[in-house]
Amino acid sequence: MIARRRASTDVAMSPGGRRLLGLFFVGFLVFLYLPTVILGIFSFNTSTVIAFPLEGLTVDWYAKAWGNAELKKALVASIWVGLAVSVVATLLGVLVSYALARRSFRGKSVVSAFVLVPLVVPTVVLGVALLVLFRPNDPVIPIPLGLWAVLIGHVVIALPFAVLLLLPRIASIDRRLEEAAQDLGASWLQGFRRVVLPLITPALLSALIVSFVISIDEVVIASFLVQDQVTLPVYVYGGLRLNVTIPLLIPIATVMITVSFLLVLAAELIRRYGERRVGVRQ
Amino acid sequence: MATTATPVIEAPRRRKWGRRAREQSSGYALSAPAVAVLLVFFLLPIYFIVRYSIGLDRFAKTEAAAELTGELAGFSTELWRNFLGEGAEIALLGKSSAALHLPMYVVGIVFVVLVLGAVFGKRLSARFGGWIVGGSFFLLLAPFMTIPAGNNLLRLAELESGGDFLRLFFRSVTMATTSSVWAVAMAFPIAYFLAFGIRKSKYTWLLVVIAPFLTSYLLRVFAWKLILGDQGLINSALFELGLRDPDNALSFLIYSQFTVILVLLYAWVPFLILPIFIALENMDRRLLEAGTDLGASRLQTFRKVTLPIAAPGIVAAFLFVFIPSMGEYITPSLVGGNTGYMFGQAIWVQFVGGTLNWQTGSVLSIFLLGVVLFLTFTTSKFLRQGGGATA
Repeated sequence: MIARRRASTDVAMSPGGRRLLGLFFVGFLVFLYLPTVILGIFSFNTSTVIAFPLEGLTVDWYAKAWGNAELKKALVASIWVGLAVSVVATLLGVLVSYALARRSFRGKSVVSAFVLVPLVVPTVVLGVALLVLFRPNDPVIPIPLGLWAVLIGHVVIALPFAVLLLLPRIASIDRRLEEAAQDLGASWLQGFRRVVLPLITPALLSALIVSFVISIDEVVIASFLVQDQVTLPVYVYGGLRLNVTIPLLIPIATVMITVSFLLVLAAELIRRYGERRVGVRQ
Repeated sequence: MATTATPVIEAPRRRKWGRRAREQSSGYALSAPAVAVLLVFFLLPIYFIVRYSIGLDRFAKTEAAAELTGELAGFSTELWRNFLGEGAEIALLGKSSAALHLPMYVVGIVFVVLVLGAVFGKRLSARFGGWIVGGSFFLLLAPFMTIPAGNNLLRLAELESGGDFLRLFFRSVTMATTSSVWAVAMAFPIAYFLAFGIRKSKYTWLLVVIAPFLTSYLLRVFAWKLILGDQGLINSALFELGLRDPDNALSFLIYSQFTVILVLLYAWVPFLILPIFIALENMDRRLLEAGTDLGASRLQTFRKVTLPIAAPGIVAAFLFVFIPSMGEYITPSLVGGNTGYMFGQAIWVQFVGGTLNWQTGSVLSIFLLGVVLFLTFTTSKFLRQGGGATA
């Protein structure tokens, strides 16, 4: 096995070529991570000028960002919207994924394509669409612009991701387990709760996390739909465009990126754990 | 004979029918909430955008306001006709003297034919299929492929239009194509190295490469602003070293097409590695050995075996980046300045950014949506291959 793999590497690239590609790979990692690292470094910079060498190190900007009331309100708003989006999108996602994996019905392929379409629709168009739907004068749907509207927009874009995470996992569960439960007298709901749910818990958790991350990072749709109360990305975006509050924004950015990394790591670990549990080979 | 057998067969069949009907209805019931949400909050608003685009609705409340924003009062195709303009010019190598003038519908037909050729060319002819596919791809990309060099983008062929918005659209497609092609060119060697060059904990390295994609897009753009800005890292380093005057910063670093292309590339390249990696990883390694056993060199094996097998993954990767880049809004609005202005920003301006002509904005939105959906559905073969692997 090892010998064969080594052979295919040798066929795929010469030792010199491998070294060259390795070098390119290292350079690529630097290119990929350097901007984020720079962001992190300058969050501790005393001076407002972005230049090396640093004048001194300080956590003042973190303290100032934390003390900013407007910012804190935006953060709280974002977290609430994110939590609501993750719950709603995952719930809708579980139901439709179960239907797509386990039921055969007319128009199934249409439903599965329809649920995934928001993946490719430009977010600008989606933002515009919802703005038209909730337009302040004479709304089509009487939901005022604001965080509720943002929530709805984020559910629409998070739903396909929830389905993509949940559908393969539900489809991979042995059908006979559910049939056995039903033969032993369990109702569909009991079977779902006792058999399917425990097996898809890891996928469910990653769907919750991914939807939350999508919502808390999303800025285009949100900036079309917010009114007085902005979300955190909209606040950051506004600050970046005005170019004045940048030193205040760097620590926020650093924290948000770090949190995203941790959430991604958590989602991946949970996913791997889940795959081991269902016995899917990588 | 048959009569005696009938009841025995029918009984289970009838039960099966009942079960199927139940399965049907419970399938609908389970899909209903998600489908309802999408119908109301996704399809319904698109219907209204279409109405705006043909003048049936308007943003302005009063006649006077409509006069000011230029919105129309009733059904009209004028907005669409204005948008599509008189026609398009194709100039080779930036020489307007050698321009070819074509009416807009011809451009549209040629585009559709080329896309279909690129997707279905293989089926048309066994012998020339490869050439049809390759030629279609080349002709589709050529007008939009550039070499980014500062603010002056050199192009093989230039597609210009009489309509302002359509010209902007062509320019956005050019920027999207350029960044996507360079991103693919960068991602391929990385995916190749991950698939064939790394022996231990391949998947951990894959995650390391992809992880930045999953952090906030806005903040990664922000990081580049710190590096490339007028008071950013590179320019301050140049002042410090005395290579440049503080009043005379290298301005092409920020607020240019070059920056937009660079940042788009940076933002998407981690994501691109995945479909290419999967295509390479799923390939039968014995084919490579067979190639060398039959006397092919490494380069020949790569060209004749690896590349054709990885091709669908490469196309999927390209589309994964290209489709969202076309309607990009965040990157150009933060680092694009005037020269890096993109189509997505124009939509924004029409709806909330001051012009408040929702009708024109709707025409732009529907056009963008139409192009995106057309590309998605015709190329779904590739997307499913790449996307199925991603899921």
